[in-house]
Amino acid sequence: MYQAEGLTKVFPGEIRAVDGLDLKIGAGERVAFIGPSGAGKTTLFRLLNCTLKPTAGRLWVGGREVAHLHGAALRAARRRIGTIYQQHNLVPRLPVIHNVLAGRLGTWSTTRALLSLARPVEVEEAHRALQQVGIPEKLYARTDELSGGQQQRVAIARALLQDPDIILADEPVSSVDPTLAAGIVHLLTDISRATGKTLVVNLHSVDLALATFPRIIGLRDGRVLFDLAPAAVRDETLAALYRGAPATGPAEGALDAPLDPATSCRPLPRV
Amino acid sequence: MAWQAPAVRAVAGPPRAAVTTWLGWAALAGALLWSYRGTAADIGAVLGPEGLAQMAAYGRRLFPPDLSAPLLREVAIGASETFAISFLGTLLAVLIAFGLVFFASANLAFAGLLFEMERPVVRGLRLLLYGTARGLLNLLRTVPELVWAILFVFMVGLGPFPGVLALGVHTAGVLGKLFAEVLENVDPRPIEALQGTGARRLQVLAYGILPQVLPHFVSYSLYRWEVNIRVAAIMGFVGAGGLGQRIHIAISLFLEHQLLTLVLAIYALVTAVDALSALLRRRLL
Repeated sequence: MYQAEGLTKVFPGEIRAVDGLDLKIGAGERVAFIGPSGAGKTTLFRLLNCTLKPTAGRLWVGGREVAHLHGAALRAARRRIGTIYQQHNLVPRLPVIHNVLAGRLGTWSTTRALLSLARPVEVEEAHRALQQVGIPEKLYARTDELSGGQQQRVAIARALLQDPDIILADEPVSSVDPTLAAGIVHLLTDISRATGKTLVVNLHSVDLALATFPRIIGLRDGRVLFDLAPAAVRDETLAALYRGAPATGPAEGALDAPLDPATSCRPLPRV
Repeated sequence: MAWQAPAVRAVAGPPRAAVTTWLGWAALAGALLWSYRGTAADIGAVLGPEGLAQMAAYGRRLFPPDLSAPLLREVAIGASETFAISFLGTLLAVLIAFGLVFFASANLAFAGLLFEMERPVVRGLRLLLYGTARGLLNLLRTVPELVWAILFVFMVGLGPFPGVLALGVHTAGVLGKLFAEVLENVDPRPIEALQGTGARRLQVLAYGILPQVLPHFVSYSLYRWEVNIRVAAIMGFVGAGGLGQRIHIAISLFLEHQLLTLVLAIYALVTAVDALSALLRRRLL
């Protein structure tokens, strides 16, 4: 699905957010990125969903090189990638149904999109997606009246309606109650398993990542530090990943704690 | 005691800030003095016994207001003209501003996450479009309404119509600037998400941007309508219709009783529009 060679993104001021990254992710894989804040995870995701253009290196999505995509081809590529963000990526003043139906915008004509704002179309599909994420009764609620966890479910419903080949989730649970976090991540892996969609997430909670994903990639300073199966990830590996970042990595001793995704998911403070 | 001095200074803060503060006050005082002399301002002429007596004499001459039927009919026509000028003028302004503003805000024209993947040529062209829209809005705004009114009177003749055009064109510039500020403060996160679904720019506009900005647009438009009803009331001084034209005549021909009636009519009209607009804005936000 994804292939990157020397992928690099430099922001003004010579900040190398992603620095010569090599990567291969196959169709249907489930991959979790972990790493300290500032490791370049969010920038990497913005490269992966064709929002940012690489400064150097090459990136292919589904066999097509991203840097060469423009106009309709770019929109088509984006349509096949559904992104779930940390938070605040819904339109707060719109009713839930329009935020869910927004997942269809890539396939709709502009006229159809405008008409749907006046009189929603494909209501059945939107309802089913909300049912799948467990909040069908919120179909006509105003989005800003929902809790953080419910809004995250709406964002997932939007991705379901988009029906992409790849689901990217950038810190999908860092703004959510820890007990809900595991539920949301499991919902995503279930969807991936049932539909064969590629799932790439970016998680603060190391324990949750190790317990849920068959492939763990440690990112530090914009580079891949390790790319392992969870069983092969040792305390020393994690210690090296989070070295010098005590406020954002797992606390001292926490690495020895038993792995229980339902209770030990820690949303860590952002700096 | 000598050893205490440095500690006290450290608490008092850097002396540099104090210097700039004093310079600021001095500049303000200088500007005040300069403007006072430049405008030949004379408080004595306003508040002195002679000035007050003149004012009182003119005030007495205004009374009683002329409430004869023909004049009241004339006032009613003038008031409805003024109302219509302000209403149509503001509407025209909203249309022009709405048409231009999406090119005049940087985050929707050429910069930011919506354009990261865009080819440099296209971004350059869009930057050009942005500059043009900005320049046009600035031109509309910096030329005052009354100057526009005189120009339009030359173009289309006397009457309320040039007043509508003048208000519309100037207010378009003002609203364009206000709308652009609203647009540049839009939350980019929902927009990024919509673009990520493969949506076209118009779809992103309809789903992500308009829901955020439209209430502010309407609120600003209503506020400018309140301003415009006052401006429309004096448009007539340059021949652009409404109550102003009648006031101009009443002042020129020393028809003081009529003048008072007209001024009272403006007071009533402006108060009514203010109240209506305030009510609508409260409903909205």
